[in-house]
Amino acid sequence: MSPPLDAARPSMNSGRPEPVVGRGALSASRRALALAWRSLVRQPARAALGILGVAAVGALLFDMLLLSHGLVTSMRDLLDRMGSDIRVTSTEQVQDRGPDIADAAAAAASIATLPSVRSVLTIRTEDADLLRGGGPPTRASFLGIGGGPGRPWTVVRGADVAGEHELVINEYAAQVLGAEPGASVTVRAYCSQGAGAPPPLVFRVAGIAEFPFDVPDRSAAGATATSVAEVCGAPDASAADFLMVTSNGDPAGAAADIARLHPELRAFTNEQAIGQLQQRGFTYFQQISSVLTIITVSFALLLITVLLTVSVNQRLGEVAALRALGFSQGRVVLDVLCESALIVGIGGALSLPLGALLAVWLDRILKGMPGIPASLHFFVFEPQALWIHAALLAATAFMAAIYPMRIVARLPIAATLRDEVIG
Amino acid sequence: MAALPAQGPQPPSILISRHLAELEGLATGDDVQLATDERGGNARMFRVAGIYEPTPDPMRLGVAPRAVRMHLTDLLALTRDPATPAGTEHVEGINVALLDPDGARAFANDVNARIPGVFARRTTGAAGSASTFVVLERFHLAIAAVTIVAATVFLLALTIMLVDERRATVGVLRLIGLPARRILVQVLIEGLLIAGAGALFGLLLALASEGLINAFFQWRYDTALIFVRVTPTVAATCLAIAVPLGAVATVAASWALLRRSGLRLARR
Repeated sequence: MSPPLDAARPSMNSGRPEPVVGRGALSASRRALALAWRSLVRQPARAALGILGVAAVGALLFDMLLLSHGLVTSMRDLLDRMGSDIRVTSTEQVQDRGPDIADAAAAAASIATLPSVRSVLTIRTEDADLLRGGGPPTRASFLGIGGGPGRPWTVVRGADVAGEHELVINEYAAQVLGAEPGASVTVRAYCSQGAGAPPPLVFRVAGIAEFPFDVPDRSAAGATATSVAEVCGAPDASAADFLMVTSNGDPAGAAADIARLHPELRAFTNEQAIGQLQQRGFTYFQQISSVLTIITVSFALLLITVLLTVSVNQRLGEVAALRALGFSQGRVVLDVLCESALIVGIGGALSLPLGALLAVWLDRILKGMPGIPASLHFFVFEPQALWIHAALLAATAFMAAIYPMRIVARLPIAATLRDEVIG
Repeated sequence: MAALPAQGPQPPSILISRHLAELEGLATGDDVQLATDERGGNARMFRVAGIYEPTPDPMRLGVAPRAVRMHLTDLLALTRDPATPAGTEHVEGINVALLDPDGARAFANDVNARIPGVFARRTTGAAGSASTFVVLERFHLAIAAVTIVAATVFLLALTIMLVDERRATVGVLRLIGLPARRILVQVLIEGLLIAGAGALFGLLLALASEGLINAFFQWRYDTALIFVRVTPTVAATCLAIAVPLGAVATVAASWALLRRSGLRLARR
């Protein structure tokens, strides 16, 4: 049974309006959507192209939303995965490789005594060449870890470093060197501190590990701080680039305690470190994301407006005929709005999988930048991006429909019909 | 860093970045003390010989470069550990200018073989093809490609609608004897003219907004970096893509229409 033409009209039985206004509005919207759908499928090529255009623009918009916070989210995830929640450095800048912490072992030991601190690791990074047999060397980041029992890497094969002259290497180094757990590797280090040309030392590969900041096609190795000091030709193992501190659940409180204990050092919680990175290194991508979001939305707005306007102009006679048949002004306006909503809605839905595929491609391009860790991503999905995407497209659908809605709302019925007949 | 009035024997000279000068209120001729730690230990006096504009770095946007340039000997004297004999200090790199630049590869190999602990490489192409800017260029090209695809789809939709609007006119032209090829050429020329005008308008818009965008971002980041530059190559590329694309879209949209008979087209 077809729904009543005017669902809000008084009931024939009681003479009072029935409380069906919401249902009536819903029904009218459904009928308008159905008519808009028929208008679209009557011109399949035109409708398909419009929807595809919105899908392409929507995909780009979705990607820009993923890019806007992608790096920050990914970096936060990386820092969290390292297991520590405070980073202690010698300078105000957490991003730069500043001066070493000279007496890091002592600093770590004193920080570890704080009640708010669970564990402390000292991290020292140097460059080193790894060699095996007569093969060519591979340049590696060589991490020296001191302090607590934790390690910033995850062993995937073999065992962890148990003592001196043992190391773990990443998968890339294992492939390049053809080394598996148990193999011997010669390490020649290039250190910021220590002997100018320290003699190479032979290490045993204890295991193959994943490092949190592993860079594709770049070797990495990890050993104890003492081993790294030795391979640098400096027996003093107390220097470190920074300290990784794990709090007892209150990173901010622990950072404050560390700052009080060691005023010469700077303690950053992961959130503070992310904040600093957000202000500095990640600005470019946030800016490009903002600019492209504005351009994309404007582009979509302009083109959908033109599509709808041309479409409405071609159907003026039809609209006038509908008005003459009894369709209200609001109803024909709603039809145009529904048509816009259908184009943008279907295109927007298609844009999500398209955007996901595009994000994978763009992410792969950007990860070609030197020094970008393999597990860092530029495009990261967050539910918030989905809501913003939907809201922006909904606003675009509405705004794009304003002008064509105005055309049909002000359409002179008789004059238009006469023009159609004469024309 | 602490600024002091100029007096006494002339201290070594330094250059400071414009950002540092503005932040600390320093001017050329001022004497400043530089120390290696924040407590002012081992401080030494220097005189500001000039203020320089640092080379803009796109990867450090938003960071005011508080930088000082000084002679290497002064830097080593400032940072040398008391236990380190002069002349044995550590430096991060040595730039070498060769009489024959073509011999750079052989020279680097020679140095690597002769001096253990030193890694020599050519500056040309040192960053490799995967350098940051090459990657960013690829990223921008990818974005441009997606934008072109979206624009092409919309353009096709629009041209289909516009051609459809002229169905009757085309039908009459066919009925009075104009061959389909003649009409197609006319449509092609029209498409070329519209696409050319559109592309030129786009270029003018880009040129007009170039200054605005650069001014905004240079103000926003306090940098001399140029963010947008419409070069002749960029303009030519835009024209080379936009004009044929517009013309092809017009012809493609007209093609289906022209395959119909004149009577069908003119029928109301």
